[in-house]
Amino acid sequence: MLESFGYLAISWFDPWLLMLTAAGTLAGIYVGAIPGLSVTMAVSILISFTFKWSVNDALALIAGVYVGGVYGGSRTAILLNIPGAPSAIATALDGYPMAKRGEAGEAVGLTTVMSVFGGFVGIAALALFAPMLADFALMFTSRDYLLLAMIGILLVGTLSGESFAKGVFAGALGVLIGMVGLDPMTAEGRFTFDTITLMGGIPYVVAMIGFFGVAEAFVQLHQLDLPAVKQKIDRVIPRLADVRRYFRVAMRASGIGTVIGALPGTGGDIAALLAYDDAKRATKNPEVPFGEGAKEGLVAPEAANNAAVGGAFVPMLTLGIPGDAVTAVIIGALFIHGLKPGPLLLVETPHLFWFTVGNLALANIFLLIFGLTGIRIFTKIVECPKAILLPLIIILSAVGSYAIQNNPVDIYWMLLFGVFGYFLKVYGFQVGPVILGVILGPMMDSNYRRAMIGARNDPATFIWDFLSHPISCVLLIAFLALLISQTPLGRMAREAWRGRRAQGRGAG
Amino acid sequence: MSSRAQRRPGELAFAVALLALSLWLFSEAYKISGFSGLSTPGIFPMLATGLMVVCSLVILLKALAMTPAGGGLRRFLADITPLRQTVMVVLVGLYILAMPYLGFLAASGVFLFVSIQFLWRRSPWLTALVSLAGLAAIHVVFSLVFQVVLPKGTLLQGLF
Repeated sequence: MLESFGYLAISWFDPWLLMLTAAGTLAGIYVGAIPGLSVTMAVSILISFTFKWSVNDALALIAGVYVGGVYGGSRTAILLNIPGAPSAIATALDGYPMAKRGEAGEAVGLTTVMSVFGGFVGIAALALFAPMLADFALMFTSRDYLLLAMIGILLVGTLSGESFAKGVFAGALGVLIGMVGLDPMTAEGRFTFDTITLMGGIPYVVAMIGFFGVAEAFVQLHQLDLPAVKQKIDRVIPRLADVRRYFRVAMRASGIGTVIGALPGTGGDIAALLAYDDAKRATKNPEVPFGEGAKEGLVAPEAANNAAVGGAFVPMLTLGIPGDAVTAVIIGALFIHGLKPGPLLLVETPHLFWFTVGNLALANIFLLIFGLTGIRIFTKIVECPKAILLPLIIILSAVGSYAIQNNPVDIYWMLLFGVFGYFLKVYGFQVGPVILGVILGPMMDSNYRRAMIGARNDPATFIWDFLSHPISCVLLIAFLALLISQTPLGRMAREAWRGRRAQGRGAG
Repeated sequence: MSSRAQRRPGELAFAVALLALSLWLFSEAYKISGFSGLSTPGIFPMLATGLMVVCSLVILLKALAMTPAGGGLRRFLADITPLRQTVMVVLVGLYILAMPYLGFLAASGVFLFVSIQFLWRRSPWLTALVSLAGLAAIHVVFSLVFQVVLPKGTLLQGLF
């Protein structure tokens, strides 16, 4: 216990790590706030620069950027009605009307406090449940990992983007990208076309930078000249009465955020929307109607998306399955540093786990400090024209792609993925599942083959193994339920249920 | 959806291209080890590409069911690949091709100047100042803070 606490406090007493976390949080707030710069983009570019650093340094910086970035999106959502990140879409619905009424400062203040509150709930859940889950996960077999990964890709496919087929296509494409290179078991080439370049595989960080950095930059070119709206900022520190009044809403939202964050593949974006929806339904008599500046509508999504950060680390550190796109990228960073996220991570490198917990908590404290200060400078920086920003992002992406293995070919990959990702985005595909696929693909492949070899290549035994082991059976049911809910059959069942409920209500 | 959605320009062609890509990748996956066993290196690639084929078929059928975008190639050029995007892709292409010859700093400087001038359309002096400042910031951050090795050019003998 004492040992864990010691690990927890590593970054609290080391001035260098303290500085890195603070710098990361501050940078994250700005990155998250600037529309067009996403946290995933920032983290994937950062990873390529920090892989020569020690693990602690790299993780301190990344944790800061992650926490700051998830929050930062709310700033522009409130001040400019442009959500800086997808997780702040719900925030704009009530935050901007508040700003228009001249309560911008109050909205920013309340958002900051509730984000930090949500953040701590998520971290507490991480500290409490991850060790338990890791113990439990030691019982997991390769079958279960295969199913978990498939559930993750399916979840991100169902909940994001405009159609299920597009989500699954993106996930499968990612799996394929992750598969290129020599097969780790037999050293046979897969999709290498007998070229040496492809034998080493496609570095996933390059794929991430291409899909999230370059592709996003090309998409942003469509909205180069959005006018910025200036707001008057008054009081920033929220009233204590307000904090007390919205405590219940924040608590509920944090719970939703933590759970959604912990589900493999779903992160802050979905958590924020669900929490907003929940708050809308749970608040019977809001002071101001939702959509016109209700504080509940501001508190719920912000508490939820920051709670989702802690939640997303749970499956990542205990199962090696990322909770969202950013943790998928962070898993890439851990691999680069020679670590293997999974149930053994807590047994073999407990310091890393507690260090991460302590670090996320520290980042939240810095969030409170930076969130309540420097708002006037902030509005100036966010107004930086995209015409300058986008070429800079492209240069950063190029440097990032090159830095991983000093190979110019990687920069060509970056552009290729960037252009391809642009078309995918334009036609309504999400690139999140691609990245999840790249990380999970090789893991699914090896686990599938291990399970199949374990069943002596007999399909009947293979299937029977899934049905006869309780954990696998539960996961299989969850997977099938999720799959069926997306087919026309599931849709029909949902509509029938809704119809019956409406009828019941009408009768009552 | 009750009403038929409008197809985006080029969406049908993109769906066809995705299907073609998926089919080709599936055939490549088949070549790895065919159906010779259930735990061979080729099984999972075949599953993934097979899934891609099925999904792209669904995507294509859905695109076919939508109302056509109309406007043909002209709308595609205007909405999906406008001049701004096309020029930027070409510029990035030239930039990364020139980098091994010019070196990182020189190539990035030229790229920044040309692309900012193209997108921002202010006085060239202001653009030059902004690109220089951006370049200096990148250089300081990467060479000093992150200590990243940046490509040196062959043409200028590593001067930049």
